[in-house]
Amino acid sequence: MKAPNGGGTVASVVVDRSSRRIVPFTARALGIGLFATIIGALISLLTRLGSDQIQVGTVVAVFMLSVTMAAVTGGLWAGVVAAILASVTLPFMESKGKLPSFNGPRDLIAAVVFLAIAVVIGLVVGNAADERDRAARSEREARLLAYLSTKLLSGDVPDRVLDEFVMILLEPLGLASCHVAVSLDGHAIEAKAQRDGLPPGGPTEVIPIVVANIPLGTLIAERPAGRRPFNRDERLLLEAATRQAAVALDRARLDARARLAQVDAETNQLRAAMFSSVTHDLRTPLASIKAGVTSLLDEGAIHDARQQRDLLVTILEETDRLNRLVGNILDLAKIRAGALISRRVPTAVDEVAEAVVARMRPRLGGVVVDLQLQDDLPDIPADPMQLDQVLTNLLENAARHSPPGGTIRIHATQTDTAVRLRVADEGPGIHVDDREKVFEAFYRGRQSPESPGSGLGLSIARAIVTAHGGRIWVEETMGGGTAMVLDMPIRETGL
Amino acid sequence: MKVLVVDDEPQIRRALRTSLEAHGYEVATVGTGDEGVVSAAEAQPDLVLLDLGLPDMDGTEVIRRIRGFSDVPVIVLSVREQMTDKVAALDAGADDYVTKPFGMEELLARARAAIRRAGPDEPPQPTLRYGDLEIDLARRLVTSGGEPVHLTPTEYALLESLATNPGKLLTHQWLLRRVWGQGYGTETTYLRTYVRTLRKKLGDDASAPALIVTEPGVGYRWIGEST
Repeated sequence: MKAPNGGGTVASVVVDRSSRRIVPFTARALGIGLFATIIGALISLLTRLGSDQIQVGTVVAVFMLSVTMAAVTGGLWAGVVAAILASVTLPFMESKGKLPSFNGPRDLIAAVVFLAIAVVIGLVVGNAADERDRAARSEREARLLAYLSTKLLSGDVPDRVLDEFVMILLEPLGLASCHVAVSLDGHAIEAKAQRDGLPPGGPTEVIPIVVANIPLGTLIAERPAGRRPFNRDERLLLEAATRQAAVALDRARLDARARLAQVDAETNQLRAAMFSSVTHDLRTPLASIKAGVTSLLDEGAIHDARQQRDLLVTILEETDRLNRLVGNILDLAKIRAGALISRRVPTAVDEVAEAVVARMRPRLGGVVVDLQLQDDLPDIPADPMQLDQVLTNLLENAARHSPPGGTIRIHATQTDTAVRLRVADEGPGIHVDDREKVFEAFYRGRQSPESPGSGLGLSIARAIVTAHGGRIWVEETMGGGTAMVLDMPIRETGL
Repeated sequence: MKVLVVDDEPQIRRALRTSLEAHGYEVATVGTGDEGVVSAAEAQPDLVLLDLGLPDMDGTEVIRRIRGFSDVPVIVLSVREQMTDKVAALDAGADDYVTKPFGMEELLARARAAIRRAGPDEPPQPTLRYGDLEIDLARRLVTSGGEPVHLTPTEYALLESLATNPGKLLTHQWLLRRVWGQGYGTETTYLRTYVRTLRKKLGDDASAPALIVTEPGVGYRWIGEST
């Protein structure tokens, strides 16, 4: 099959309407003709019961009616049969049981008239019936194709579309089985449908699936054994359906490519944003350090002891900041690469929380930590160092957003399935729309776009918690501050 | 006092040499594990600072080889990402670790503590004092503010193990073997329960500790200041 120019629209021509065919002579036509004549003869006999007079005109009229009815009901051939039989029967009707006496010219004229009526009506009726059949069939085909095209172009995955496609073709084409095998960008898809209980091995059509001269695969339609071969219309319908499937598959292929391209573009955009953020965050402390050191090395500059110390303290702070940032970036890279390996052992949340607070206390400035841990908390399966990191990040975050002299409240309680940790600060809180965004990498709060955090701590915390089958989310405290709530499952989950 | 620095980064070697010499230490530096083992045998240092990320040899292997002939204190220098290596190094016989990048102040404090612990055995002090707390090692008695603190034999053994290794990071495995016996090593939940009870009896707040510090996932460290 050649690929259709213009890509085959839905209403592609299926039935060639210029093909006028003569309705074949069938047993049905013979039967109807015979039946009509018998009825005609019977009516003629009935009209004779009442009187001895033979109403020739009546009999002729009755036979005319029977020929007409035969032609109307059974088409041309039924009419012709009825006409011939009527011509033969007519003389008997007038003979009163004796041998028929042919009334030469009159009977001949009657026979010709009968035949003429039969042919004219038969042709008209036959054509009308034919047209009706064709109309009904092409409507059925159009409906099938329209249905196919909606199905095929629904944007569903090609596998499912093809499954449905082969299924739909079975019934209207009287198939025992229908099989499609295609290859989309090297990805093989196959679909097969068959009707149970039908013996395979009948007439088979093999139709190539082609788009823009690129072969995609083949469709194989098989009728049950012993059935008639596909006729022209059926072959055309099959080809039209296949063409639509080809267009749909091509579209699916292009869609998939477009989606990939879009994902690529988004990833690149994200990467670019990350890159510029990381570059900025890495360069800033480096700039401070280099400025401080070159100033101290500058033999022309005279620093007093206090100035020297200021510079050195700045260098120290910036080094620490840089160190934390590099650590966070490495962690995030590890998480993204799926290389975050949790070494889970029975871990006491309270012990880790206490250790983190003990270690962090000197770094919290004037912020007070209030630690309330429920007694007898169960151990949880966790990597203690990763849990340590989560709590460290949460505490650092809370401290960063705490007002001077504020209190950070850390509570640990047990729920039905988890140990729940709550780290609440007295900061400005997080707008309800941003409560999920804070877990995105490189996100910084609206109030503090230049805050010293890297914007990574919370996203690392969430990644670790999630890897442990736990959850972390933001709540608002009574005083309007932020509470980070963390559920760590008591029983081993996931991974 | 001789310090051997084993690190493949020349900048770190130079920084350590400068700072340590400024504090009166005699410093030798090498860049590979092999040289480290040889120097540890030949130069007989009083302390080894060992980088865990050596190009030629696993740091744990260096410690194991040094331990084959010497009890010299070893402080491991590692980056944060080498947490499991660090625990392995401690279990292999390292005395302590310092995470890179470190402050010299912290490193020097650890170095002094390690050298002191390894120093010539002073006559064992019969009694350890930390403010109100007194541990009478000879009579195995513990008092706090003059009041006796009642400890079970296991609790006492744990306290003694911690207090007689001041400043040293004691891994879970080391403590379990020392207190419960050689067959133990992974029963960290067990150990944790005892540490918690001990802290409670001694009145030490884990979130603001004066005696026992927790290193999550690694072990415990006694930080009590002798008085």
